Amino acid sequence: MDHQIYILVIEDEHEVMDALIKDLEDFEQTFPIESANNTKEANLVVNQICDSGDEIGLILCDHVLPGENGVDFLIGLESRKEFHNTRKVLVTGQAGLEDTINAINMANLNHYIPKPWTKESFQEVVVKQLTDFIIEKKYNPLEFMAVLDSVRLAESMRSNSLTDN
Amino acid sequence: MIKGFQKANRKEVLDLINRTVDSTPELQSLVVFFKNKDVLFKEGDSLSYLYLLLDGSVSLTHKKGDTPAFEVLKLEPGHFIGIVAFNTGNNSLTTATSLNKIKTLRFSQDDFEKYLNQHPSLRSPLQQLMMSNMTERFKVNLELESRLNSLNHTLEEEGAELKEAYQQLEDSHQKLVHQEKMATLGELVAGFAHEVNNPASSLLRSSESLITNFQYQSDKDPLAKMFQLGLHSAPLSSTEVRERMIQVQKRFPWVPERSMIRKLAQIPDEGYIIIESFRKKISIELLVQQHEAGKFIHNIQLSSERIANLVKSLKSYSRQDNNQAELVDIREGINDTILVLSNRLKYLNLELDLKDIPKAMVKLGELNQVWTNIIVNACDVLPDGGKLKISTKEEGDHAIIITISDNGPGIPEQLLSKIFEPNFTTKNQGAKFGLGLGLAISNEIVRQHGGFIRASNKKEGGAKFEILLPVTNG
Amino acid sequence: MTLNKKQLAGLIIGIIGLAVPFFLNIEGLSYAGHVALGIFLLAASFWMLEPVPIYATSVLVILLQILLLSKEGFIFKTATEAYIPDAYTAFIGTLANPIIILFLGGFVLADAAVKYNLDKNLTRILLRPFGSQPKYIVLGLMVVTGLLSAFMSNTATTAMMMTVIIPIIVQLDKTDPLKIGLALSIPFAANIGGIATPIGTPPNAVVIGALSQQGINIPFGEWMALAVPLVIIALFFAWFLLIKMFKPSTDSITLDMSGKFNTSKNAFLLYTAFGLTVLFWVTESFHGVKSAIIALVPVVFLTLTGVVTKEDIRKLPWEVLWLVAGGISLGISMKSTGLAEWIVASIEWSAFGTITLLVVFSAVAVLMSNFLSNTVTATLLIPLAVSLATSGVAGEGFNLIIVSLVIGVSASMAMMLPISTPPNAIAMSTGTIETGDMAKAGLTVGIFGIFLVVLYAVFYWPLMLN
Repeated sequence: MDHQIYILVIEDEHEVMDALIKDLEDFEQTFPIESANNTKEANLVVNQICDSGDEIGLILCDHVLPGENGVDFLIGLESRKEFHNTRKVLVTGQAGLEDTINAINMANLNHYIPKPWTKESFQEVVVKQLTDFIIEKKYNPLEFMAVLDSVRLAESMRSNSLTDN
Repeated sequence: MIKGFQKANRKEVLDLINRTVDSTPELQSLVVFFKNKDVLFKEGDSLSYLYLLLDGSVSLTHKKGDTPAFEVLKLEPGHFIGIVAFNTGNNSLTTATSLNKIKTLRFSQDDFEKYLNQHPSLRSPLQQLMMSNMTERFKVNLELESRLNSLNHTLEEEGAELKEAYQQLEDSHQKLVHQEKMATLGELVAGFAHEVNNPASSLLRSSESLITNFQYQSDKDPLAKMFQLGLHSAPLSSTEVRERMIQVQKRFPWVPERSMIRKLAQIPDEGYIIIESFRKKISIELLVQQHEAGKFIHNIQLSSERIANLVKSLKSYSRQDNNQAELVDIREGINDTILVLSNRLKYLNLELDLKDIPKAMVKLGELNQVWTNIIVNACDVLPDGGKLKISTKEEGDHAIIITISDNGPGIPEQLLSKIFEPNFTTKNQGAKFGLGLGLAISNEIVRQHGGFIRASNKKEGGAKFEILLPVTNG
Repeated sequence: MTLNKKQLAGLIIGIIGLAVPFFLNIEGLSYAGHVALGIFLLAASFWMLEPVPIYATSVLVILLQILLLSKEGFIFKTATEAYIPDAYTAFIGTLANPIIILFLGGFVLADAAVKYNLDKNLTRILLRPFGSQPKYIVLGLMVVTGLLSAFMSNTATTAMMMTVIIPIIVQLDKTDPLKIGLALSIPFAANIGGIATPIGTPPNAVVIGALSQQGINIPFGEWMALAVPLVIIALFFAWFLLIKMFKPSTDSITLDMSGKFNTSKNAFLLYTAFGLTVLFWVTESFHGVKSAIIALVPVVFLTLTGVVTKEDIRKLPWEVLWLVAGGISLGISMKSTGLAEWIVASIEWSAFGTITLLVVFSAVAVLMSNFLSNTVTATLLIPLAVSLATSGVAGEGFNLIIVSLVIGVSASMAMMLPISTPPNAIAMSTGTIETGDMAKAGLTVGIFGIFLVVLYAVFYWPLMLN
């Protein structure tokens, strides 16, 4: 890969952020992580990433945040072409039904992880989402086989007409 | 002639008629006797005779639909029986029944005209009797009308009173339901607090013990030192982490993994010195791991404390244990309420000005409901960053004023007087206090404490609720 | 397009390599030969160090040959005594060389097989008889992989087999060596299996293409007769080695493959086309219809019936065809300019015995292909071998066909490094193998391969060819 694929985590409570990052540890070597405590900061980080030619594969976002809330932030990203493949996941205990519906309909939400979460199910979601991302973007799956869903990635290779050389 | 005709005169006239009848043989044929309970004519009959009662009593009754017949009039000697029907030619509206042995003069239509208009001696007394009968009837009518009118009026009043009573009943019922709901909720909350208390205490104790265990390690030991640093770590914002990560990369260029760099970024400079000095002997992974262990134990401790505090406040807030009044500083309840509502207050600008106030004899649990209600209403209308100010102060010698104000949209002027009424709500169905009873109940609670609530709008915009409570020492 | 150091070096060396011969005057080499040398140096360094994709280098080679060596080019408009320029059509014609067409047929069939899951379904039923004992399951997997990769690309076969073995690997104990054995078994079997038929892997195409340039035609079935016995022995050896090196610590494993054969009309058309084509290929020597011609039939049939669509055609690996064409093209000018002969003449071949030569060629091919693309290895070495054989310098036993086969087969024996072949890279990416494991096993197989190939070259092939 000639550029980086980032995971972005947006959460304002420090202990929760620590826990999220800890559970993402295994992925950081392949998918560097960026964190933000609010959506204003998140927007800065997002622009930085875009400017350097990298992209964001996965966003894990809390809903209750100071200032703009998580769902509105995700909806705002929808209008930007660069993020159409980016997987969006809400990690929260407090999005009401209406907010969740908006997130699904207007922000193309891919998954919802309710708090509290278990490490296993959390990592399962991350693996699935990032695998979807890699397959959708038709990136060479080889460097992701060890970290993501190798069976699905191998399967996707079949339909990409791999050849000997 | 009418004016002068009184009851006494009627007797004289009657006597005159009697004497005339007795002395005139042709008049004898007019006399008819009836026994007790004889029916002279029935309701609906068309009358061909008119009776003049000379002796005895007759009851005129009327029957309406299924109801039993009732007496319309009781006739005495000197009254004509069937006079209305006889004169108008309509069917009789009443049934005439004798109440005892009666003596009557029975006139046919022709007879009556003859006697009434032509008979020299009977003419005048009959005419007089007619007149008096008519006027009496009229008078009776008038009386009946006015009685009817006042009865109607009374009925109306009673109806209104009934309606009001029903409404009050309805309100009381709602209040009861609400209170029961709150009571159940309160029970649940208390039960939950009780249950959570144990694991919360255990968490807290365990994390503290864990920390004490590690205190025994020598300060010289670099691993122990790293652990200590982690234990006392202050949280960094994500911006700070990002900046420090750049510094770390410069200082430790031989560390390739980003996750390690991130962990290093959260270690204070003191830790870097340790890592660099012990680089040959102890792996950086081990040292960083120790710091991380300390940090996570610190997190456990912080989180357990939070849980314990929430539980304490929840129990204190709901005061489920007793519904007695107690001598207490109301600010305690206000603080509990704020803690319990901390989630909703998270992104508001909360300003507290809780000046010293004397203790008062109050039911703290109930008052907490009042603060909760007003604060939650404010949270619902304030945007992120909105200001909420809560203040307490002593008023004179014997009162406390609690003020809760915000910089929200305020309360529309026309609604100000109504907001404490039951069923007043601007929220849609299903909102927590959206029964519309929140403020009404709050009002009731305050009033029961002998105080009052006043709602107003601030000059600079926003709503203000002032609660005045008398200080009683029991 | 940022180049790393290796690529930058390749670019510079290549350009220099192209330019330098124009300024030299080498004894015994015609001017055309100098030009060809320049192109050869450029091609070699571009192919080996990959500053640009290898298929791009191939078409560049064709273009340079047209511009610099053809009749329609700039330099040799008329024949000289040293060099009769080929028409440009000879160079671009390589793009439609019969072996290219044969491969095209193979690609279409393979693509359709994947599309209708024929490969997966065949795997399922072929694996059944192998039971649940780990070592037999590995054998079964290797046999099926070898069989499939003989007709499909080794890489596609490996990718498909990964979806079969990864679930098994995940179940195994973390310390069970079977994990490594399983992961390595697939690329080894795929690389070896590709040797079995002409369409199994592109280096085979280079061999056939080069031989056809010399007027030697190897029918489909004949290739199989020559290669299959070797493939079987190599496969068994590899299996034996892997089970020995990575002894399974578990007693049984369950292979859970669900699915059923596609029964749609298109699928049946495919099954028919596939079966008939292979049948006619294998029996080429009997009916005499060239395998390239046969190869066109399924192409036509499947596209006519819509079994293979426009999208499928777009997805075919055309760049592999270009790669092979470029190799064949280079061979043309190396021969016709006398360059190959000159290279050959520079070495004292008579000092070496036939067998030594064979061993050397095999070893060099194995070594090179471990670091380079197998096809490029074959492309660079075979013209030399061809010249060696045709010039008679190397002696009687140095049969052209045999030596080409030696190089072609050896080029597929690259199992040591992840970069050696795409199947190796795929297996490595699963994270179950250490580079040390692959290197050790790959080296052993490579050495055995050399031994086996030389053995065949000395005993079996001459027998078959005469």
